[in-house]
Amino acid sequence: MNTVLSPAWRDACQRNRDAIPQLTWLTGLRDSALSLLSSRGLPDSGQEDWRYTNLADYLQRGAAGLIDPDHANDSAAQLQLILDDGRAVSPVAGAHALPAGIELYSLRELGSELRDHAASLLAGKDREGEPPALAALNLALLSDGWYLRSTSTATGTPPALHLRLAGSRAGIAQLRLLVDVAPGSRLNLRIEHQGPAGTLANAVTQIRCGAGSHLDLLRIQDLPADSLLTETTQIELDADATLAATSLDFGGQLVRQDLSIALSGPGAKANIHGAFLVDGRRHVDNHTTVEHRAPDTSSREIFHGLAAGHGRGVFNGRIIVRPGAVRTASALNSRNLLLEKTAEIDTKPELEIYTDDVRCSHGATTGQLDANALFYLRSRGLGPAEARQALITAFLHATLAQIVPEDLSMQVAARLQARLAAMSKAAS
Amino acid sequence: MQATPLLTIKDLRVTVAGREILTGMNLVVNAGEVHAIMGPNGSGKSTLAHVLAGREGYTITAGSAIFRDQDLLAMAPEERARAGLFLGFQYPVEVPGVSNVYLLRAALNARRKARGEAEIDTAQFLRLVREKAKLMQLNESFLNRGVNEGFSGGEKKRNEIFQMAVLEPVLGILDETDSGLDIDALKVVANGVNSQRGPDRAFVLVTHYQRLLDYIQPDFVHVLAGGRIIRTGDKSLALELEAQGYDQTVAAARNQSQIAR
Ligand SMILES: Nc1ncnc2c1ncn2[C@@H]1O[C@H](COP(=O)(O)OP(=O)(O)OP(=O)(O)O)[C@@H](O)[C@H]1O
Ligand SMILES: [Mg+2]
Repeated sequence: MNTVLSPAWRDACQRNRDAIPQLTWLTGLRDSALSLLSSRGLPDSGQEDWRYTNLADYLQRGAAGLIDPDHANDSAAQLQLILDDGRAVSPVAGAHALPAGIELYSLRELGSELRDHAASLLAGKDREGEPPALAALNLALLSDGWYLRSTSTATGTPPALHLRLAGSRAGIAQLRLLVDVAPGSRLNLRIEHQGPAGTLANAVTQIRCGAGSHLDLLRIQDLPADSLLTETTQIELDADATLAATSLDFGGQLVRQDLSIALSGPGAKANIHGAFLVDGRRHVDNHTTVEHRAPDTSSREIFHGLAAGHGRGVFNGRIIVRPGAVRTASALNSRNLLLEKTAEIDTKPELEIYTDDVRCSHGATTGQLDANALFYLRSRGLGPAEARQALITAFLHATLAQIVPEDLSMQVAARLQARLAAMSKAAS
Repeated sequence: MQATPLLTIKDLRVTVAGREILTGMNLVVNAGEVHAIMGPNGSGKSTLAHVLAGREGYTITAGSAIFRDQDLLAMAPEERARAGLFLGFQYPVEVPGVSNVYLLRAALNARRKARGEAEIDTAQFLRLVREKAKLMQLNESFLNRGVNEGFSGGEKKRNEIFQMAVLEPVLGILDETDSGLDIDALKVVANGVNSQRGPDRAFVLVTHYQRLLDYIQPDFVHVLAGGRIIRTGDKSLALELEAQGYDQTVAAARNQSQIAR
């Protein structure tokens, strides 16, 4: 059973269809999105994929903010580029220097020669061959979006290009980021969610990694209290492209991320690390899909969940090996720590394998901090909070270790320490 | 010379899972002394060590343990450590992802903080751990590895003594640190302990082999059986036990109804 698309949503989609003159090249796509929404409806906890995450409150608050969005204002505020000196600038202004080989355009100002690239990304489909409902909603309602292209072939690890996606309090911000990593190029991208307390956002990020390219992707969700975020991320890898994706959830009230990675070209390779921290009454749901569509592709995915208080974490990891994707190698792991009995983590790995000659492994563990290790550390003089924090940090070590360059990894580690300290303070 | 008691255990009784394991333990360890505790498997040696270090899961039903004039049994494990107690574990725990240097620096700073001192200077700290690693013939690569993570049995034991060397406790309780060591490693470990002997410090060595005592000369040798000390002697007792086993000693104690049948 799906919720039918209520008139409020339908009207808003229709009003938005031609509201922005610079985006009329999207009208055809918006129409398909709306017709898909009309038949499929919005996510509903009656659907298997949504059984742990109830969007009722999110959609209700979103519907309340649908009346007359201020298109002129929200567009510039939705995405910011963070410069090396920490200043946040709107890329739409165009007055700042981007690193060599990086281009960033708002969809409104996108030249017609790039619109085909953008449109094919915008239409990204899920494993069932249709755009996911929340991506369709985003497409129908977006007032702008961003197209980022890297043609950089610089060797070594470049500093991360730092983007900030900002939600809003007046209705659900429809955030859209499209990324083209040109064949043979490399990109280090850091995407951070941001917003005031009570932020609402529906983010969609679609990335294509061209043949032989490499992408380091760091996503950090550290939204303030009472923020609700849905996020759809689709990444497609062509032949021999490599991806190192790191996803971190430190904050938010209700967060749902659907991360889909398609290994479409032979030899493509993905390393995926994720970590989520839920305490208080926070709810974070990560659904990931790794789809092996071509021979000799490999993926390694490890998600670490940490739950305290009445926090609730969900991890659903799906691996699909399509017919013909021979010699696929894939490993999926979900490791979870429950710091208190009141916390909960639901984890489920799912394998769909339609080819022989594959090496796939998966595992899930949920446990508590090792009492022997805790005693050992305390017997050396560490206090209980410090000992716990050391063990938790160790638990999350592999996730942080994937972040490049090292100074960024250390910066994130320091934030994690602060977050953990606040968490143990709240617990005691 | 007036002896200064560091640790005084009186009539200590401890149950685990409803069973009495320590059945009236008495022991006084003075500053400057080295005590060896020997005894059959399962007699309660590790239980004693764990109870002194503050491990959970033991019920103390009677008795007391005073460490440097403080009620040891009322203190949290970390407070005991900061007060100068060190336990070398019979089975050192692997703590993957927490490096040896991290642990040692945190441990040292916890002590300093408890004493109201500033954190240790980084250069000074590194000099200290390098010096002690060298003393224990522990390759510096071990410093950055996870605590005991993937260490061989002997390496784990050497790592315990290395930690003790860095932390410089007042009382070191070493639970079978000699078990599983090759002859060269045994000498290294013994050398590590001997280098720390001094008039203000003491050691309790739990061991099954008198060979350790060839390298670390004990002042007293105790036999722990049935949860209490049934005999105390000097180094020659270890030699006697090595030759004869525990049977006679235990039988004699039984006849004097010191321990239950
Ligand atoms: N958690 C526990 N639950 C049940 N029994 C326990 C527990 N811990 C210890 N014991 C029992 O207490 C007794 C004493 O154990 P302990 O480890 O102190 O012996 P030990 O003298 O150190 O022996 P060994 O020489 O083999 O190291 C043993 O019979 C052991 O089985
Ligand atoms: Mg023992």
